[in-house]
Amino acid sequence: MAALGRASSLLSLLPLLLVPAAGAGGARWRGEGTSPHLRSIFLGRCAEYSSLLSPELRDKNCTAIWEAFKVVLDKDPCSVFPLDYDLFISLSRHSIPRDKSLFWENNHLLVTSYAENARRFMPLCDVLYGRIGDFLSWCRQENASGLDYQSCPTSEDCENNPVDSYWKMASMQYSRDSTGVIHVMLNGSEPKGAYPVKGFFADFEIPYLQKDKITRIEIWVMHEIGRPKVESCGEGSVKILEERLEKMGFQYRCINDHLPVKLLMCVDHSTHPDCALNSTCGCGGSPVLLH
Amino acid sequence: MADHRFRPVSGEKPCCDISKKAQICLCVVFGLLVVVIIAVVVGIVMSRPPPQHQEWKGAGTTAHFYEIILGRCYTYTQIVRPELGHKDCQKIGKAFTNAFLSKDPCSSTEQDYQPLMELTNQTVPCDKTLLWSKTNELVHEYAWVQQELFTLENTLLGYMADGLRWCGDPGSPEMNYQSCPDRRTDCSNNSVSVFWNAVSKRFAEDACGVVHVLLNGSVHNTFDERSTFARVEVFNLHPEKVHTLQAWVMQDIRNISSDSCSDASIKNLKLILSKRNITFTCENNYRPIRFLQCVKYPEHSSCRSKI
Repeated sequence: MAALGRASSLLSLLPLLLVPAAGAGGARWRGEGTSPHLRSIFLGRCAEYSSLLSPELRDKNCTAIWEAFKVVLDKDPCSVFPLDYDLFISLSRHSIPRDKSLFWENNHLLVTSYAENARRFMPLCDVLYGRIGDFLSWCRQENASGLDYQSCPTSEDCENNPVDSYWKMASMQYSRDSTGVIHVMLNGSEPKGAYPVKGFFADFEIPYLQKDKITRIEIWVMHEIGRPKVESCGEGSVKILEERLEKMGFQYRCINDHLPVKLLMCVDHSTHPDCALNSTCGCGGSPVLLH
Repeated sequence: MADHRFRPVSGEKPCCDISKKAQICLCVVFGLLVVVIIAVVVGIVMSRPPPQHQEWKGAGTTAHFYEIILGRCYTYTQIVRPELGHKDCQKIGKAFTNAFLSKDPCSSTEQDYQPLMELTNQTVPCDKTLLWSKTNELVHEYAWVQQELFTLENTLLGYMADGLRWCGDPGSPEMNYQSCPDRRTDCSNNSVSVFWNAVSKRFAEDACGVVHVLLNGSVHNTFDERSTFARVEVFNLHPEKVHTLQAWVMQDIRNISSDSCSDASIKNLKLILSKRNITFTCENNYRPIRFLQCVKYPEHSSCRSKI
């Protein structure tokens, strides 16, 4: 499911002359409909984040943040622009600890596991405006007021849809507020290439990185255990990314299969040959072990 | 005619030698003063703040408690486990607060939580129950990565309440945000402890097949008879449903000592279980979770591999 639109690459505008998307069961749009109880989930997440996860954000007014957000719920679902979230972002933004930013493409679950609920790193989904919207979907009905719970437009339906515009705005802000060492986790087993040249990272994050606040960029190309290594550092789309960063004047380095993340991947593949640990592991049975 | 001036008759001597007019004035002033004093007293009494919440030694109810549990309920039933989408979160939220509002937070009982527990009833598949003791962070990291096993905090009610604090007050319909009873220094039958005992009991009662438990081999009492695991969960496993308890004993990666499974407290656990007709198995440093520990210390010798 992922953060809808977040992982989908921004394909070129599909002209409106296309026949309306035939979603499942004749739904108007291709994407999932508005999440039920959107407001309650929104307010609950906001309250939880600000009081439990980041007590220094206790002054955040979640009701005001919701009021700022919900203006898009009255707009035509194909006419919601990133700037419509301007007030929402300005009320919910907060600083990101130095060296803790983690960008990614095509490995949402791995990133959230590795980030450890913002303790190790703080990817976008662990920032307030990222946490609030994660895995949710929302849009007004096309020709009526009221929310559409059946389906919502994706980028293939129309570019300026509520969810994609949200993530574009959130991504831009996240980039702007990132400082120190910037980390990027890519999936080197993704058949379409580790670095989507048209995607959120490429179009809405890299351009907004603040060069004067960034020391260097570290790219981790992770390969899934037991799956082919489609691309590695210096190859294919990764090379394109490296060249782009170089041209922009960033210091960078690229690492294949960054060890701590690799070890995390091994949790689910502990018996795979690629994950063999040596004998000082202390692992295994004892006289009490019966199987 | 003789000058006969009337002299006041001694019995009718007026008070304080003042004229009648002055007397009236004084009475009026005095009367007004009395009225003012009464008004002030009434005013003070009326505006006095209501009796304060009781004061306890523990931290108060979590800020925005109700919004948090409601939001979590919806997130869980709509996104995490959509097969529970039929659950009524409004009812559940109300049942939760009704369990402790306006009640003595030191006299909480499991009955208080019965309506809440009925509304949040949930089946955990056999072989998927994961208990734990003294491994809070590690066990939940593992459950998150692995996604098939359920700790109590991965069930609806555990998910809603995890990390939160709550208590009420018999003299007030409000939650006490200032303080709540501390288990050790105030009372053990407090709203939060009773809740966790009740839900842990049910979690154990509902388990079936092979039940796993993650224990800490680097602390003194790996199997601690005072822990919720020992007091509540072990004793409420049903032998007709649960045939095996498998323990994974993890040691701190920087300090791998001898075989934790041979530890005296573990032998004690084995004994308790065998009396209940439940098989016990034990594994030191279960590999998948060892990998998880290695993420923090990737350069450590026990984390060296062909990677």
